[in-house]
Amino acid sequence: MAPAGNSSSPFGGSQSTPLGNSNSSQTPRRSRRRRTNNSNSSPTSSPLPLETPRSHMAGLASTPSTTTRRRGAQHNPSATPSTPLSTDDMVPPYSSDRDDNDNMETDGQDDTTPVFVWGTNISVQEVNGAILRFLRHFRDTRSASESSDTADLMSEGKYMRIVHRIMELEGAESLDIDAHDVFEYDPDLYNKMVRYPLEVLAIFDIVLMDLVARIDPLFEKHIQTRIHNLKSSVCMRNLNPSDIEKMVSMKGMIIRCSSIIPELKEAIFRCLVCGFYSEPVLVDRGRINEPTRCPREECKAMNSMSLVHNRCRFADKQIVKLQETPDEIPDGGTPHTVSVLMHDKLVDTGKPGDRVEVTGIYRAMSVRVGPTQRTVKSIFKTYIDCLHLKKTDKSRLQIDDTADRDSNNNTTQEDDAPLNNDKIEKLKELAKLPDIYDRLTRSLAPNIWELDDVKRGLLCQLFGGNALKLASSGASLRGDINILLVGDPGTSKSQLLQYIHKLSPRGIYTSGRGSSAVGLTAYVAKDPETGETVLESGALVLSDKGVCCIDEFDKMSDNARSMLHEVMEQQTVSIAKAGIIASLNARTSVLACANPSESRYNPRLSVIDNIHLPPTLLSRFDLIYLILDKADEQTDRRLAKHIVSLFFQNPDTSVHEVLDLPTLVAFISYAKKHIHPELSDEAAEELTRRYVQMRQRGNTPGSRKKVITATARQIESLIRLSEALARMRFSPVVEVGDVTEAFRLLEVALQQSATDHSTGTIDMDLIMTGISASERTRRENLLAATRNLVMEKLLTGGPSSRVVELLEELRKQSSMEVHLSDLKIALSTLVSEGLVVLHGDSVKRI
Amino acid sequence: MGGPQYDLLMNPLGAVRQTFEKAVASSQPSDVDPTAVYRGKDWGIVDLLNQYLFDQGGLAQVPILDASSQKWMQPNTLVRFRGMVQDMLGNEFYIGAFKDGGTWRTNKFMDFSPFSAPPVSQTTLWERHLFLCIPVPGQNSWAIESTPYPLKRSISNEMTCHHGEKRRRDDDPNRICVISIFFYFFFNMQKDFGSASRHRIAEINDGSSFPTSSFSCLVKVYDMPESQLKLNEVVEFIGIYTFEPELIASNNKEDVDDDMMMFDFMDDVTTHLPPSKVPRIHCLVSRKLSTSDLILNSPAIEPLPNIMRGIRDSLVSYLSCTLGNDVLAAQCLLLHLLSKLRTKSDVASVGRLSLNLTGFTQETASIFGSQLHNVIKTLVPYSHTIPLTIEYLNTATLQPKKDNQTGRLVMGVLQLAIGTHLTFDETFMQSGTLNSKGVDNVLLLKHLMEHQTVEYDFQFYKLEMAAEVQCLIISEAKSNILPADLVVPVCPSAVTPVTASEEQLHAWRWYLATVRSLPHLTDTSICEMLQNEMVDAMRKDRSLGCADLSRWLTMAQLMASSFGEKILSVEHWQMVKEIERLRKESCLLMPFVFDVAVVFDPELREEISSTVKNCFHRSARLLVVSILENLDSVSDTAELDGNVCCSVLKI
Repeated sequence: MAPAGNSSSPFGGSQSTPLGNSNSSQTPRRSRRRRTNNSNSSPTSSPLPLETPRSHMAGLASTPSTTTRRRGAQHNPSATPSTPLSTDDMVPPYSSDRDDNDNMETDGQDDTTPVFVWGTNISVQEVNGAILRFLRHFRDTRSASESSDTADLMSEGKYMRIVHRIMELEGAESLDIDAHDVFEYDPDLYNKMVRYPLEVLAIFDIVLMDLVARIDPLFEKHIQTRIHNLKSSVCMRNLNPSDIEKMVSMKGMIIRCSSIIPELKEAIFRCLVCGFYSEPVLVDRGRINEPTRCPREECKAMNSMSLVHNRCRFADKQIVKLQETPDEIPDGGTPHTVSVLMHDKLVDTGKPGDRVEVTGIYRAMSVRVGPTQRTVKSIFKTYIDCLHLKKTDKSRLQIDDTADRDSNNNTTQEDDAPLNNDKIEKLKELAKLPDIYDRLTRSLAPNIWELDDVKRGLLCQLFGGNALKLASSGASLRGDINILLVGDPGTSKSQLLQYIHKLSPRGIYTSGRGSSAVGLTAYVAKDPETGETVLESGALVLSDKGVCCIDEFDKMSDNARSMLHEVMEQQTVSIAKAGIIASLNARTSVLACANPSESRYNPRLSVIDNIHLPPTLLSRFDLIYLILDKADEQTDRRLAKHIVSLFFQNPDTSVHEVLDLPTLVAFISYAKKHIHPELSDEAAEELTRRYVQMRQRGNTPGSRKKVITATARQIESLIRLSEALARMRFSPVVEVGDVTEAFRLLEVALQQSATDHSTGTIDMDLIMTGISASERTRRENLLAATRNLVMEKLLTGGPSSRVVELLEELRKQSSMEVHLSDLKIALSTLVSEGLVVLHGDSVKRI
Repeated sequence: MGGPQYDLLMNPLGAVRQTFEKAVASSQPSDVDPTAVYRGKDWGIVDLLNQYLFDQGGLAQVPILDASSQKWMQPNTLVRFRGMVQDMLGNEFYIGAFKDGGTWRTNKFMDFSPFSAPPVSQTTLWERHLFLCIPVPGQNSWAIESTPYPLKRSISNEMTCHHGEKRRRDDDPNRICVISIFFYFFFNMQKDFGSASRHRIAEINDGSSFPTSSFSCLVKVYDMPESQLKLNEVVEFIGIYTFEPELIASNNKEDVDDDMMMFDFMDDVTTHLPPSKVPRIHCLVSRKLSTSDLILNSPAIEPLPNIMRGIRDSLVSYLSCTLGNDVLAAQCLLLHLLSKLRTKSDVASVGRLSLNLTGFTQETASIFGSQLHNVIKTLVPYSHTIPLTIEYLNTATLQPKKDNQTGRLVMGVLQLAIGTHLTFDETFMQSGTLNSKGVDNVLLLKHLMEHQTVEYDFQFYKLEMAAEVQCLIISEAKSNILPADLVVPVCPSAVTPVTASEEQLHAWRWYLATVRSLPHLTDTSICEMLQNEMVDAMRKDRSLGCADLSRWLTMAQLMASSFGEKILSVEHWQMVKEIERLRKESCLLMPFVFDVAVVFDPELREEISSTVKNCFHRSARLLVVSILENLDSVSDTAELDGNVCCSVLKI
């Protein structure tokens, strides 16, 4: 700390002592001079026992403790705002200090009287040396492990390489320094940097200047230090007075950017009398003093100097408003905002709406009552001097790009950083639990009671299978699982949908009744401003890599529904309209729910008649669940218990080990991103065996016609399901158990949807064609009977007979029930065969 | 420390300073830096004030700040302000303590340092939180009734008290004039408040000018984690009032100054709330207000069952008078008024009971509807009526929205205080087309009804805020836009003018407030019974869903507490069942105005309803008469299409 004795002495004599040692460079002297100016200009400040008058330009030498600095700012209100960041102004004053600093750095260690930054325990030489060592010798351990050791020793440190590159390119003006690297190399330096950023960064800049000057004395540009990736970041609402003048980093969203403000750095004046141009005048504490008289000896005219705008040097500046992101806002609060000051290159790096991570110095400045008054309000305004800005948006857009996974390996590695290691460990721990599958099932929509198998299916959908791209043909196999829920009203289908929508990373929720075909896929619109035709994405395209929830699927128009065919198998949306021909990715899982065609399930009708959807579409759903409101005392009782417990908060039902929503989301997104299970040999064998078994089940002895119980689509579904199940365990291999469970899930769903009511067996034809095998045999039988009847009763070219009469005849003949509609179908087949003609109600044989 | 030592009422800052200096002085020997000790802490002033306000009954002496009293309120005096937290403006750093010569001074509870020279020696920064508060939207006149009484006293106090020449100057006719103006204003306000609610909608719809046109107050809160106050809570702040009209001039100059121009960008929140227009309160003590706090001189009535029963009966008969002697509707209305959101989990929210009173036509709504509005206004502290018309939905700004230019939350109609009663009058609804704003508004309302949350628009993202609002819908037929929990047809039989004495009203207000805050206790035996009852009911009627069962339970719990009971008993359950039975009957027997009558054979139900739907306008009302089938299955057709309103008559 600064010698305490200083505080007792009221006047300037001892002020310079902390720095007034032989080794000090010109800088302290500069500041001393300024100090005297300062106290002259404002007599009120004379009793300043501790005051080190400061301008930020003198950041290195005369650095007071945080309190004095603030007072300094207040003392000089206009100075603080206009030169908030020291780095730029450093250049000219230090250019002459090069030699001094060289000495400092070389013999700084054995110097007997170290120079301290005022009011701190920072020894200038020490820090100087530490920084130089860091810049010269830091090697990235990660990259070092890759290359051989000997080569590593020979090569330069990470940052030296970057410095060289910057010098070669000449374009870049800043050196990005990862704070993690600093911490790794020298934790002490890191701490000092975070606590006294202004001072340490100033030294950083000087060291860098020297370094550059040594390599190439002709290199003119000044390289700025940009620190990023601090070890800890603060929440915007937790910023408090103790953070002032510290280096902080925080996440937020840019909500507003000011226009670019040109800030005068160097002014050139011209004498109006003789036309003499003055030397560049530098900004001093936010002000430029107009020379009162012409400096030329011959002229010396009073008040003749005027500013020459186009010869002055300006720097860009911008103020950006940063707002908290929704996840940091507590219940019942509104988001906080903070102002961020951007300089030079950082200007316009972020736009409103960007999610960014800002590293900077938290600053406060006093508020003046009026511009002319010296009185100052006791209130401070705060802002952040931005040092580094990183957009964090990117990682969001790259949510599990499984298909392009290999191409951007690097980015996925980067994405890991925000999800910190403890969290990943925790998730892995969770995945190791033996009952993770059940636990996940319980955690999914815990307020919707029962429907466990449906929930399991939905879980599989959320985790998803692996998308495959066949290298040979270029065809791709989807990894997304589509699910259809059909059920009675009031069976909480919609709630399930809402829940999934909330859970999935990029879910879109639409209602069938309110969706049109173009609204789902994509539409071409005229831009109101430019008049160009633009392609606007619809719900399915927007939910690429997410889940598209479609409520009231049955009430959707057929036209809109037909758009889904392509999406659900090819996973693309092709468009050819208004001169735009495009194929858009729509790698989305579809979760649809529908009411039975008569709004309530009619047990008298077959399943397919109840669902009343085109079979082509039905076959594209991997799982079709029929949620029926069956009269079952058991379920009724459970429902009653559930509701009562909701009201009376019975502890026995609510306290199950359930993952909370954020954990569940994290779990799923981690699994989707990092786990890509592959089929093990045993699992593949099991899959084949059971698939064959399933196919054979249709061949019941005695039945005349083969009933198809499984198709190739099912085997794809099964692979997807078992992959999803393996993902839940974070397992890289699909095991036999997963396959068994996948079969169970599929069978549960099939039993509900594809069971032929007349025979009680599973019949895939029902879903593939809409007609069950038994129905088909029945129709064929009827057709044969009708043909026989026609052949018997009607003569070629003879009198026609009425359909009703034929029906009567048939009913007499056959034992089975014959409906008029069935007969009509049979007759129309005969018409197409050319056997009969149908005139309204009468049948005539040709 | 007693009262006479400090004049907390008229010179609270003096007390603040004196106590601070005393506290610093007393800690001098041991502590090095007193500022560190008192950062974010109180040094005894709050205790002192608490003692004065609550133990010595000083609370009543503190004048209440509102739009009218602001005119004559002295700066730097103690005031009370009751308002809703409308926006949170983050925190502010100020010089908390500084050394002036050898002594420590504090700036806490002030805007400006009283010492002209800027503090030059050591200073420390402290922080305080800023809240923008407004008078509670939709506050009914009886709930703000409390203002004049304490004021009168405080004014008279003030007049008798001897406080320097300054105060004596405006002692005489001047002051009296102010008082009379105040009362005039106040009674006007009372009268106007009814129509004011509608005016208010229009006013708020304009949106832009809202905080400047109406009264708002910037409250600076000290030493409290910000999370303790939530958006839309009703809070009473007691603190030091400051108002700096002389700053106007300097503010104007500021704009001219080049230096400051860019920094306007930084402090825009406060520049849009200039101290010359928006008063500041430096809060010393704050407390959240519940409904019972708003009821004046609360009678010390023990919530004994027989007393509660008496009040309940009188209230039910009063309500049934309002609804044209419909006791069933009155019972449901009572339960609705007592409802309160208790717990909320992911999907389900427990405890709310929104009510849809159907069977109103334009004419009956004009009689009973307005009567109902007035009655609700006299019973609940905050209420608001929204006339649902196509035009309103297409134009109104319901959603609160953050204006990033000014950095403030712009109020929408749905930014309401917790516990507000909201009435939707759907009888004005005509057919028409909703534009995109209208659709958004409908979704917002629907969401409010279903989940009790309102989505606030923060431009780049939306944030769901909990909104505890009781919703009542008045409509011709079951509302299609707003799905209420309970649909009750009203069958008015007689028009009786409703009158109630002030004591009765008072008792009822007290009753509603008390009952709503009653806890519900669990009894395991009753749980068993309820489960059995539910299973039985489900066996009898397959159409019963989760929603119906939870509604029954909600009603049963409310029924129990309406008698002042904390535990639900079988008796209450039976009463609810009876109400449900009657309700179902009246739902079925409700006479409707039909455009089309269809008589059909149940076998052909599907075909007929679809043809009819195609033939007629979608909004046509169908009378579907079933000849053969039993009622239960036919009533299903009502669900076929929401736009076609079907009902069934027994023949």
